Amino acid sequence: MESATRERFAERLIDAIGADAVLTAPEDLAVYSFDAYSEERLPSAAVLPKDARDVSAIVRIANECGEPIVPRGAGTGLCGGAAPVRGGVVVSFARMNRILSLDAANRRARVQPGLINLDLSKAALPHGLFFGPDPSSQKISTLGGNTGTNAGGPHALSYGSMTNHVLGLEYVDGSGEILHTALDDFGYDLTGSLVGSEGTLGIITAIDLRLMRLPPAIRVFLAAFADVETASAAVSAIVAAGIVPTALEIMDKLIVQAVEAHYHAGFPLDAGAVLLVEIAGQPDDMQAGERAIGEIARAHGALSWRSATDADERDALWAARKGAAGALGRIAPNYYIQDATVPRTRLPQAVHRIDEIARAYKLLVGNVFHAGDGNLHPLLIFDRRERRQVEAVIAAGTEILTACIALGGTISGEHGIGYEKRETLPLVFSSDDLATMGRVRDVFDPKRLFNPDKIFPSGAVCGEVRAQPQPAAGAGAWL
Amino acid sequence: MAVNSAPGTSGYAFGERAPSRVITPESVEQLAAALRDCDTKGEAVVFFGGGTLQGLGHAPARYDVAVNLRALNHVLEYEFRDLTISVEAGMTVEQLNATLAERGQFVPLDAPQTARSTVGGVLAGGWCGPRRAAYGRPRDALIGTTVVLADGTIAKAGGMVVKNVTGYDMSKLYCGSLGTLGAIVRANFKTLPVPQTRRIAIARLPERTHRRAAEHIASLDVEPAAALVVQGFADDIDGHDGIDGRIFLLFEGSQTLVDRSTRELRSALGAAGVPETTLFDAGAGMAFARLLDAYLVRLGDRSVTYRILGLPSELLTRWETVSRLAREHGLNLETLQDIRTGDLIARVSATLSGHVTERIPGFDVALHSALPRIAVLTAPESLRGSLAMWGALPPSLQTMRALKARFDPKGTLAPGRYVGGI
Repeated sequence: MESATRERFAERLIDAIGADAVLTAPEDLAVYSFDAYSEERLPSAAVLPKDARDVSAIVRIANECGEPIVPRGAGTGLCGGAAPVRGGVVVSFARMNRILSLDAANRRARVQPGLINLDLSKAALPHGLFFGPDPSSQKISTLGGNTGTNAGGPHALSYGSMTNHVLGLEYVDGSGEILHTALDDFGYDLTGSLVGSEGTLGIITAIDLRLMRLPPAIRVFLAAFADVETASAAVSAIVAAGIVPTALEIMDKLIVQAVEAHYHAGFPLDAGAVLLVEIAGQPDDMQAGERAIGEIARAHGALSWRSATDADERDALWAARKGAAGALGRIAPNYYIQDATVPRTRLPQAVHRIDEIARAYKLLVGNVFHAGDGNLHPLLIFDRRERRQVEAVIAAGTEILTACIALGGTISGEHGIGYEKRETLPLVFSSDDLATMGRVRDVFDPKRLFNPDKIFPSGAVCGEVRAQPQPAAGAGAWL
Repeated sequence: MAVNSAPGTSGYAFGERAPSRVITPESVEQLAAALRDCDTKGEAVVFFGGGTLQGLGHAPARYDVAVNLRALNHVLEYEFRDLTISVEAGMTVEQLNATLAERGQFVPLDAPQTARSTVGGVLAGGWCGPRRAAYGRPRDALIGTTVVLADGTIAKAGGMVVKNVTGYDMSKLYCGSLGTLGAIVRANFKTLPVPQTRRIAIARLPERTHRRAAEHIASLDVEPAAALVVQGFADDIDGHDGIDGRIFLLFEGSQTLVDRSTRELRSALGAAGVPETTLFDAGAGMAFARLLDAYLVRLGDRSVTYRILGLPSELLTRWETVSRLAREHGLNLETLQDIRTGDLIARVSATLSGHVTERIPGFDVALHSALPRIAVLTAPESLRGSLAMWGALPPSLQTMRALKARFDPKGTLAPGRYVGGI
């Protein structure tokens, strides 16, 4: 945008929502120019609305000026979803971070999108309730961002992803109107359509969420295996036996060693892979649950099996698991996290293929993933100063996605498509499938101003020249 | 593909409004070609599964062709070790349940009349039953779909994995769209292991114990998978009424857990003053199925059944409002109060058939002015036009209309059947 036009745009924003809520200086905008995926470009402005009416004003002005609108939570997204790749205005929800109501009797809460995920569970705790989806970023990522990407987390295995917990939404549509949806309204499920739409259909300004009763009993177990493939086979067998624990997580040796150096949580250092199992529910069922899962693990080659003795040890193991990617910063200059999902019986094949691909590209790979869901997160380690390594990582990443699709899987389990994977979407969906999704976009965002260049491929047949994606830097990456 | 003209169309009529032909496609491609043809010619189409939920909504504004989807009824992939299944959506729910039961699994659809109801019909009708508090709604178990749109486009969404954020979650949009956006032809689900034990508890409910019993049930340590206060439905649902009905509870889980939960239940209900609780394991599945069937059972042409949604904490107040209105309008009232979900199912009927057309429309007006979020589940065809089938218009109706226009610009699919005449 021309600088005069940009100034006029900023002035209008300031008139509408106040000078303290509009940032335009390059040094202030820098932090809004990227998320945990990559640095892209400076927006024309960043705005900090205090309520839905502010958001509505922002959308109207941006709409009139033809400026893209990019919503932003905490910027922990791994796929460039919050990066203003075509400039425009970044809408930060830092000032819309309150719990509007918590209705313990009906187990629901209404929150603003900037509320940090974990803060909801903390507020619900005195009522014996908690919020189910727990992405590893939950200490800093926001519920608005979680909703936009349909985030999951380790407990999605039993509790489901965001879409299973969002009961209704307030959102601002392309014309700036504030609208409401609820699962209990008759008519089309606009709530389910907006969840996971990565900010491309509207700007969410309030979220109604389902809370759940805290399970009275939780047990966490650790099993050591010779390698990731055997651990994965054990997970496949547990699921095939019709057992659905609350979490089934695998970490390989590389990750375990990085995590232990940092957290000292008590993961076995000599194992090729560690399986972290959590069961939750009534105390009556704990013993039988442990026996059943333990037997399968041992039958599939578990080298050891032990139970966390108390809540402190359990919390330490989980803190370490959720901090895995951060801890990797100790050993890796940079890494690139993939997020693919395969049918759970295919896990051993998938990890075998990932290993083969990493070897072929001479890349070191770490595995830490939601095995029970078949949701893989290989971390490809590289040094971004080495151009060849960057190229190898990008090529290997695409090959991993292709391999997972060939196994009946898909290219994102919980991080979203964002900017990073949009060109790979046609590997999963036909042009008719994508055009059908496009019809929804036509209705919500006919001008394509909401988070443009996200999710959907550019549409250029071939030879489109664009910047090579820059895989994530080490710190601040979550999975 | 079978094509029937009248008189083979009688089962597909909405009152006087009958289609000129019924087609039964045997493949998705045949369906796509047929729809494209209808769309081009401007013929209006209504999709049919088992017809169990066709009581929902307005009669179609135009109606030329009924499309019977029941020939698309095969299991496409059953990866029981993955706890996933993919079926053609014309399959009956009974057939789906039987397939899953062979592997000790289930999908919590909670559909009534499973011998007739189809998977696609249950999804398109937005059906959800009492166990959704425990297991989620059908939409939550649905991990992928294939639909055929009005112009013949075959589009898939989701996949066969249990966690997926790849593109828009279109399956959610088709669920509960009542066949106005497209025909669901394929549905992929994540399945659950069948609980080890299933037990029904039924207790008579004296009037004075009503509120306290509900409170005690809500605070049980082990929550029932379904908990309903039943008033009336004497021929449809097990158990004998007290003065103010009965409680119907379903417990599911391990043997030890279900044993403990029923012990706790007995003492909780005892403390609330409920005299006696009957338990049974054998036949629990049948009893639950009869309960679900009751949602759609009509008393000849003399009854209308409503689903009235709201918060669980406001259920009793809502019930009192409905009771008062039924009394004021001289109608009999039978209800299911779903304690866990907050749903209120209310069947009003008239003893004399003349009273049906005299009294029910007035009751309907009063009901809608008192409460939001009401849908008619079943009604005599003669009344359909005089009831507010979907209650208050949803706040995002304009977006819904725009979606309809974008997916089905000529209004080929079930025109006028849905909310706001979509």
